[in-house]
Amino acid sequence: MEMGELKGARGIVALVALVIIFAGVLFSFLQLNGNVARGISPEYNRLAYLEAPNNLASWVYDLRGFDTFIETGVIYVGAVVSVLALGRGIVKVKGPREEEPVPQTSFDFKPDTVPIILKYFGLPAIMLIVSYGLLIVTGAATSGGGGFQCGVIISSAYLLGMAIYGKSNPLNLGKKFLIGLGSIGWATYGLCGLPGYLATHYWQYNVGADLWSSYPGFPGAVPEILRTVFGDPFRLALVLKEGTFYSSAGIVPIINLGEAFNVIGALGLIFLVFAYGWSDRKEGET
Amino acid sequence: MNEPITNLWSIPLLIVIPILTAILVNLLYNKANAIKTIAISSSITLLAIALISPFGFQWFTGQPGVIPGGGYTFSADIFAWRLSLEYYYGSLQQILIVIMSLLLAFVVFISTRVLKKNFGTYIGLLFLLYTSAAIIIMVNDFYHLWIGVEFGSLLVAGVVAASGESISQKAALKYTFFSALSGAGMAISLALILGLTGYSNISDAIRFMSNNQLGGMSGVLYVAFGFLILSWIYAGGLAPTHPLKSDVYGAAYPHATILLQTQSKLMLVAMGLIILRLFSGLPFAKEVMLAISVITMMLGVVMALLQTDFRWTLAYLIISHSGLVTVGISLGTVAGIIGGLFQAVNDIIYMSILLLCCEAVLYFGSGTSIRSISGIAKSSPWLTGAVIVGALAASGIPPLNGFQSELILIQAALGQGLPEIAVIILMVSVTTFIALFKSIYSIFLRPADQTIIVGKPSADATTTGLSPVPKVLFLALAVLIGIAIILGVYPNLALNFLNETAMKVVYVPWVP
Repeated sequence: MEMGELKGARGIVALVALVIIFAGVLFSFLQLNGNVARGISPEYNRLAYLEAPNNLASWVYDLRGFDTFIETGVIYVGAVVSVLALGRGIVKVKGPREEEPVPQTSFDFKPDTVPIILKYFGLPAIMLIVSYGLLIVTGAATSGGGGFQCGVIISSAYLLGMAIYGKSNPLNLGKKFLIGLGSIGWATYGLCGLPGYLATHYWQYNVGADLWSSYPGFPGAVPEILRTVFGDPFRLALVLKEGTFYSSAGIVPIINLGEAFNVIGALGLIFLVFAYGWSDRKEGET
Repeated sequence: MNEPITNLWSIPLLIVIPILTAILVNLLYNKANAIKTIAISSSITLLAIALISPFGFQWFTGQPGVIPGGGYTFSADIFAWRLSLEYYYGSLQQILIVIMSLLLAFVVFISTRVLKKNFGTYIGLLFLLYTSAAIIIMVNDFYHLWIGVEFGSLLVAGVVAASGESISQKAALKYTFFSALSGAGMAISLALILGLTGYSNISDAIRFMSNNQLGGMSGVLYVAFGFLILSWIYAGGLAPTHPLKSDVYGAAYPHATILLQTQSKLMLVAMGLIILRLFSGLPFAKEVMLAISVITMMLGVVMALLQTDFRWTLAYLIISHSGLVTVGISLGTVAGIIGGLFQAVNDIIYMSILLLCCEAVLYFGSGTSIRSISGIAKSSPWLTGAVIVGALAASGIPPLNGFQSELILIQAALGQGLPEIAVIILMVSVTTFIALFKSIYSIFLRPADQTIIVGKPSADATTTGLSPVPKVLFLALAVLIGIAIILGVYPNLALNFLNETAMKVVYVPWVP
């Protein structure tokens, strides 16, 4: 739509609609100010710490973990659709002659023009950023941050590498690798639901943390082997004067890793394909 | 009514199997045989699961309900605030998901037969489209509803853009742009409802609203209603956003449009019922919904009359008949809701018949415009018979399924003292007949125009350059026509699945 189209009656209608929407939202938030119902949130707070000291990780990846699974899918699909618009996966019906796909152009990307000083500082900067991303994802169950953040940080490092060094940058992630990484990430997240499902029929029941299987009325039981395999590697001890308390985030750290892989794959692929376009030829082929 | 089980085995499989299939076929990308095997087995598995599944809930992650007096429960029979994300698989969900699974299986069969290489991504997107519709029809949680709609909108854009043509890419881009606005609107609406009630579970929020006086906050409720209506309009392609959705239907391959229109109908039904459950007590809420539905019906059918391309005629008729679905839901009575839901089921079936016929026309190699192709009846009498049956069903002619649902809708409107709505429904039926037979006469029945060169898709593809119409397309037509006739003669086969949902929405709206 051209801005010129907003002149005249259409523009007035758009302006009136915007004013009404703005006034409605403003009025609602003012009315809600001080009147927000707490509802279910205190219950989430009451339970979250039993799994991980990072409450946010417990909410996002466990209590509401299936929400986040589909949200992870939004990122995956976003990458697939963006790359499809640039050529990967365009389909044609056999036989009937159809219009050729719209030609795509890549950015005019010239890393040769980057000053030499940036090239010297680029590598250590990328190493630091990647390390920071790894720190975030490995500590996701105990401190703020998680898979999303790690993915964004590491893919930013990849973008920085492309901006300074071009396609053959220190991270050198190819399109096939990125597609695979994103797919493995989302699939890992999904499959983390399987042990809980097999044991209890609740998809994504956290068998490592296992908060509920001993509660009366819980349908199903968690075998000891599952509790050990998914719980022990991530078990934490909180030493207080009242005693030592143990908790395990269970499958949450693995989900975080899957999430990180998914985001690195998705964002990295978008960066790569937007910068260099898509070709169905194998990497390295001319 | 509801089964108390909260760990129903089938619900996760209906979501996770298509997701894992999509990931796998996207990775396989151009390995045609492997993609065919995986996609077809997966779609048949989904159909089998949908058919044999009992009813019940799935509380994802296995968190319990919080009993108000203290303690926790894992039974849906005991009143408790839900900690988990809740899905429900009942009679409405079963009939809609079974039909969608059947259509997915046919569409996957056809796509893998008629598309050239590199169709892994496309097949993956079709599976994810199925997932998004399944999520929306089963979910009982605001936040997840929003994610489902966002997810679905993005997938619609992907499926449309997959043909790579300029018209498809423009339609996808426009749709994506407006989806961002609509998604933001829906997020505001849900934020307001969450602020008012504190519950993201839809049943819990409705209970809270019923048990607490929110009179002083009715302004906030109206704003939330307005934004949710905006999303409903957008997601289902109702007026005034219908050009976006009709562009999507017209620009995609007809076989993909079968799933696109199914997803839209499911969104319209699911969101329409949620809006009714939440806001039917608000003055003017039903009237607003009804007005939007009537305008959509009329605009869609008028636009369909003006088209000269079969694809675009169908695109606008899908829009118009979406209005028929929502008219019933908007009436808010048991009869109206049953009529709306039955119309959705029937609409999906007869539009799929017409879209399959349109897909077959495409294989003749001269497009789908009434000016570019004619005389198909002579070479393909079965196809011509199928398209006529589809058109009769869409026009509400007995003994086909469209007749039964339109009759219920007309009776529901008359029962509410709205004869003008009944007259408009009749007018839409008649106009649908005219719009469809304009295309059918020109493309199928009119003697072949010697100036138009029409290929023979059944001939050897190596000499004509055209592929034969796949046999599975005729099988799909036979099955869908069979269903259209059976539902036309024995409507109770479907109505038995829909009555309970309508009763619950009207009398116990907090029960999903």
